[in-house]
Amino acid sequence: MARVPVNPGTVAWAGDNPGIYLRETPDGPWTGLGIFFRVLYSAYGQGSAMVILGDPGEASGFPNSRNVCLSTNQEMMRYLVDDFVRRFPSFRDQPGLESMTWLDVASHASQGNMTDTWSETMHATGCTAHMRWTELGSPFAVEVGPKDCATGAHDMYSVFMEAQSASITLNGAPLSGQVCERLFFGRKMSTAFMAVSETWVIPAPDEG
Amino acid sequence: MPLASPIHPGQVVWTGENPGILLKEDPDGPFSAIALFFRIYLSPAGRGTVLLLLDSPEQRRQYPDGCNVLLHNNKGLADYLLDSFILKLPAFAALPACESLSLIGIDESYPEGDPRSCYSEIVKAGSLDIRLTWDGLGTPTALELPAELTGGKENELYTLLIESTKPAIQVNGRQLPGNPVERVQADIKTTTAFLYFSETWIRPA
Repeated sequence: MARVPVNPGTVAWAGDNPGIYLRETPDGPWTGLGIFFRVLYSAYGQGSAMVILGDPGEASGFPNSRNVCLSTNQEMMRYLVDDFVRRFPSFRDQPGLESMTWLDVASHASQGNMTDTWSETMHATGCTAHMRWTELGSPFAVEVGPKDCATGAHDMYSVFMEAQSASITLNGAPLSGQVCERLFFGRKMSTAFMAVSETWVIPAPDEG
Repeated sequence: MPLASPIHPGQVVWTGENPGILLKEDPDGPFSAIALFFRIYLSPAGRGTVLLLLDSPEQRRQYPDGCNVLLHNNKGLADYLLDSFILKLPAFAALPACESLSLIGIDESYPEGDPRSCYSEIVKAGSLDIRLTWDGLGTPTALELPAELTGGKENELYTLLIESTKPAIQVNGRQLPGNPVERVQADIKTTTAFLYFSETWIRPA
C-alpha cells in the first residue's frame, strides 16, 4: 500500500488475531488449524471467537469431527469467516470450514505475559477449546496492501510474534501435528504466531 | 513512501490502546481536565493498565488536595510511560500537574459500551471511582504516522482513530468541567477526545 498518513479506506475491523497451524509432516496437508479473534471494533460490534479445525479435510462439524467455531458474537464472526477466514490461504477450500459447528461461548479467558507465553481458552456447552503459544520471539510490525495481504483484498497493520512451539486442544485432547516453518515475506517463521493490534482496511476505490 | 518489505524494519516500542480526553472551558485557554488511558499489551516494562488523570492541569495539587494522579496496575509500566512517552509530549511536559503526580494502584479496570456509538473505561483505585466516556463517536480512521507527525517526533505510529464529540470525565460521580476542542492531526480536523485502538509505536531503523 502507498504509505500515506491517513488511510483513505474503510476500517473493517481492529483487534487481535493470533493463529496456530499444525502439520504432521513438513510437506503434508494441515492437520490442525486454529485462529482466535478479539475484536475491539467492527461494523458488527465487538466480540471474541475461535475457529478450530481439527479435521480440516472432513465436511462435518463438532462433535462428529473436531471442526467448530466458538464465539461471543455470532453475527460478527459470520462476517469475519465470510470476508476474512475463508480467504486465508491455510483455511481456503477446507471442507471443515464450511461444515464446522457454531457454538455460543459461555466464558473465555486469556493468560500469559505475551513475552514468553500466551493462551486463549473458550468454553461452550460440551466444548472447551484451548490455544497456547510458547517460546515467543521479538515483536515486529507489519503493514501490507491487498497484493501481500492474507485475504488478497485489504490493507492491514499488525504486530507479529512467532511462537517456536504451540498447541491446540479440544476438550483436553491435543490436535495432531506440529508447528512448522514457512516463509513470511522472505523471513523464515513458525506457523504459530501472535498477531495483535491489527487493523484491517477495505481500500478506497481509487487506491493504487 | 511504501515500505521495501511488508515487515517494518523498526523496533516495536509498545502496542495497545491509548484513548484520551482533553477538555477546555475556554477554547483559547489552557486545558481544564485531562485523561489519558493506556491498556498496554506489550512493552519493555510489561503489560498493564495506566491512567493519567489531571483535574487541575495548571496546578501542582497532589492527591487528595487535587486529583492529579497516575493510576496503574504495574508501577514499572507507569514510570516507563511517564518518562518515555507522556513527558515527551510537549503539551504534557509543560504542565505543572505533571511535576507532582500521585501514583496510586488500580483495584479494578474494565471497558463498557460499543465503539460504534458510546464507549467507556471504568477505573477504580482506592477511594477513586473514575468513568471516562466517549460519546458521539465518529467513523474510524486508520493512521500510519511518520515520526515528524507525532507529538514526540521520535517514533512512528500505527493507530486506529475514532473521534468523540461528546466526551466526559467523571470522578466519584463529579463531572470535570470543560469541552473538547478542535485539533488537527495529520491534516485532518478532529477533536481532543479520541479512542485510539490497535496503537503501535515503532522506533525507526
